Amino acid sequence: MELYVPILVLAALSAGFAAVNLLIAAVAGPKRYNRAKLEAYECGIEPTPQPVGGGRFPIKYYLTAMLFIVFDIEIIFLYPWAASFDRLGIFGLVEMVLFIVTVLVAYVYIWRRGGLEWD
Amino acid sequence: MTVLAEGSYASPTGQEIVFVLLGVVTLAAAVLVVTTRRLVHAALWLVVAFGALAGCYLVMSAELVAWVQVLIYVGAVVVLLLFGIMLTRAPIGPSTDLDGANRPAAVVVAVALAGVLVTVIVDGFRTAYVPSARASSGAGSAETIGAALFRDWVLPFEALSVLLLAALIGAIVLSRREIGPAETDARRGGGEGEG
Amino acid sequence: MSLLASAVLAAPAPTPDIPAPTIEYGLLSPMLLVFGIAVVGVLVEAFVPRAHRAAVQMPITLLGLAGAFILTIVVATQDITPASGQGWGKLAAMGSIGIDRPTLFIQGTILILALVSTFMIAERRTDEGSFTAQAAATPGSAAEREGLLAGATHTEVYPLVMFAVGGMLLFPASGDLITMFVALEVLSLPLYLLCGLARRRRLLSQEAAVKYFLLGAFSSGFFLFGAALLYGYAGSVQLGAIARAVRLGPGGQYATEVYGASGQFAQVTVGSNALLMLGVALLAVGLLFKLGAVPFQSWKPDVYQGAPTPITALMASCTLVAAFGALFRVFYVAFDGLTWEWRPMMWLIAILTMVVGAVVAVTQTDVKRLLAYSSIAHAGFILTGMIAADAAGLSSALFYLAAYGFTTIGAFAIVTLVRDAGGEAGHLSRWAGLGKRSPVIAGAFAFFLLAFAGIPLTSGFIGKFAVFQAAIAGGATPLVVVGVLSSAVAAFFYVRIIVLMFFSDPAPDGPAVVVPSVFTSAAVALGVAATLVLGVLPQSVLDLADQAASSLFVR
Repeated sequence: MELYVPILVLAALSAGFAAVNLLIAAVAGPKRYNRAKLEAYECGIEPTPQPVGGGRFPIKYYLTAMLFIVFDIEIIFLYPWAASFDRLGIFGLVEMVLFIVTVLVAYVYIWRRGGLEWD
Repeated sequence: MTVLAEGSYASPTGQEIVFVLLGVVTLAAAVLVVTTRRLVHAALWLVVAFGALAGCYLVMSAELVAWVQVLIYVGAVVVLLLFGIMLTRAPIGPSTDLDGANRPAAVVVAVALAGVLVTVIVDGFRTAYVPSARASSGAGSAETIGAALFRDWVLPFEALSVLLLAALIGAIVLSRREIGPAETDARRGGGEGEG
Repeated sequence: MSLLASAVLAAPAPTPDIPAPTIEYGLLSPMLLVFGIAVVGVLVEAFVPRAHRAAVQMPITLLGLAGAFILTIVVATQDITPASGQGWGKLAAMGSIGIDRPTLFIQGTILILALVSTFMIAERRTDEGSFTAQAAATPGSAAEREGLLAGATHTEVYPLVMFAVGGMLLFPASGDLITMFVALEVLSLPLYLLCGLARRRRLLSQEAAVKYFLLGAFSSGFFLFGAALLYGYAGSVQLGAIARAVRLGPGGQYATEVYGASGQFAQVTVGSNALLMLGVALLAVGLLFKLGAVPFQSWKPDVYQGAPTPITALMASCTLVAAFGALFRVFYVAFDGLTWEWRPMMWLIAILTMVVGAVVAVTQTDVKRLLAYSSIAHAGFILTGMIAADAAGLSSALFYLAAYGFTTIGAFAIVTLVRDAGGEAGHLSRWAGLGKRSPVIAGAFAFFLLAFAGIPLTSGFIGKFAVFQAAIAGGATPLVVVGVLSSAVAAFFYVRIIVLMFFSDPAPDGPAVVVPSVFTSAAVALGVAATLVLGVLPQSVLDLADQAASSLFVR
């Protein structure tokens, strides 16, 4: 647990830094409103025009999200494996390779089905 | 499974106080998830609940579980949830149709279930006390979990890869068309995300 | 540089290597083959052009299932002695898997029934098969029409079925609750998906998939809650360790090996009885949901109706067998010492399941919903056998599961054949006079219904007889009375359909019976043959089930 004290201190410092900056900007910064200020910054989806009841996102995003979550889960298992890698020996390597290859089969399938193309 | 040792709840340590506070945050955020009228807010409150829960795990020295909680639940599950909301309705502002006629029944069931579980767990672990010294011996570290996972739990681990594979196949089957026009009918509103 | 080197030199002695786990590949070979074929199936989907996929997938799936069945027999003929020295079987793969005679019987049954279900999946002559052209297309959209015109169909069905079957093989063989949970998900997830792939009545199918998924996820939550509480009670998720904790009772102590630190042992004190009782109850909810026992049956009619009929057949046969296998293993191994505690609960559930299944079926007008309620009632009859909690109960349930599986697949196969313009003619009134138009198909269906009703000379009679006999020997006579009464109610509506088919006039625009290809014909023929043979000459299979059950589950 003691290991996390520096992390907590760092987190508090960075949160404080962000808060202070926002505060300074609000207090000291000039306030000139114009149309561009209200638009999404640099990227993202234009907020208008919005159909009644809200628009729907294309289904493509769903696949992206699923890919993300599945490979996120796969990566998570690499941590405990890496942490005890030197003790696991060749069998641990084989297990992990088998795990990754199995999930990669899904990746190959998605790639061949055009799931990685945006349009 | 109880470990009896000296120490009690009468004189809490700093860690125990942090644990209780995190628990209160988790509970409050969870209540907000089901009571807020804005779907997106519900998802964001879920982030708070999951995050505080990760803190609880960390205090209990279940390090790996805590980081799994952060990376999978806060990072991925909530993102999927938000995507799910945007894919179906993308509502802005409060939704009026979130509460059905089942609301009282749901409250009764939830409170009853919570009551039973809390009673049983408090009753079951009344005398159990895990001193933090034992808890910080690395029992929940990535290394220990790795040693257990890749030796004792090999089979469920490999079966999990099959589950992930099946889940991805399902995602493709449900969302990609092989034949016919591209997904034009889903493109109304909102516009395309650029950049 | 030198600093780094000295730091490396001064590092403490490395911790000892973790010994490689022992995996009994031979014992696991049926499951490994099924999963392997599923992965190959996914690669086929990726690399084989669309026109040839079905022609490649179907044979490898059938060969895989047949091969796995042969491997199961090979394993069964080996001489395996458990650590205890008594009986037959072994805890394999670091205790994650229990291979024993009942498990092998269950796995063999699942594989055979899956093979017959795959025959129905392979059928392309009835309406280009039962699966949608493009699941991603909005029902009624131009894209969907285009897919239909292109003659497409989702061949991903084959690998998904193999994943589900692999999970079903793993589920009843699990030696601990974590493996069991992963197996539960591996078998459920592909089924949720497959339920949404019906070719006709897409919205109904999608609704079925969503309902099944939501309720299934809910029941998985119950399962996990129960597993966590049992871990709190016993200090282990191994079924054998839970049984030991139950024997020791609250406050008892035993030593268990610490995971991740091989060779170290920790003293575990068994927790309170409240933890155990709630754990048993929640775990039972998760397991009973899968087999559709009342009050966890509400998904069954909707899902069975909406799912593509071959998938309904797969669920009604294989999933039921797998779920009962897991239920038996948990209650016969882990809660062996608790029989007096769980028996009243199971009494109540068995009575409710039989009565609700039989009574509500009477009011059904859709043939698939009717078969769903019939499946609920049959789950109740099998639970009656389980209540005996001995080898005879297990043996009778194993026989019942095998017999019922063949009959129900045959019945669903016939459902796919009776079609009109909108697809399968689901409404019972459309089946009026079928016996005059297609006496063979109507006759086969009538035979299956008689087997469901438990009329002598069918496998249903022998199964019910065996189950009730075991229940009476186990002291559950009132339960058997309820069982016989609900069988009588069930027989009423089965006979009503037979009367409808043979003694009323066919409607002028009534459904036609499609002439199937060899696949569905084989499914129907195998169903009739198994129902007849197991009804007239059941002894060899009864003996096999007896032999399988006599050594009980390995712990």
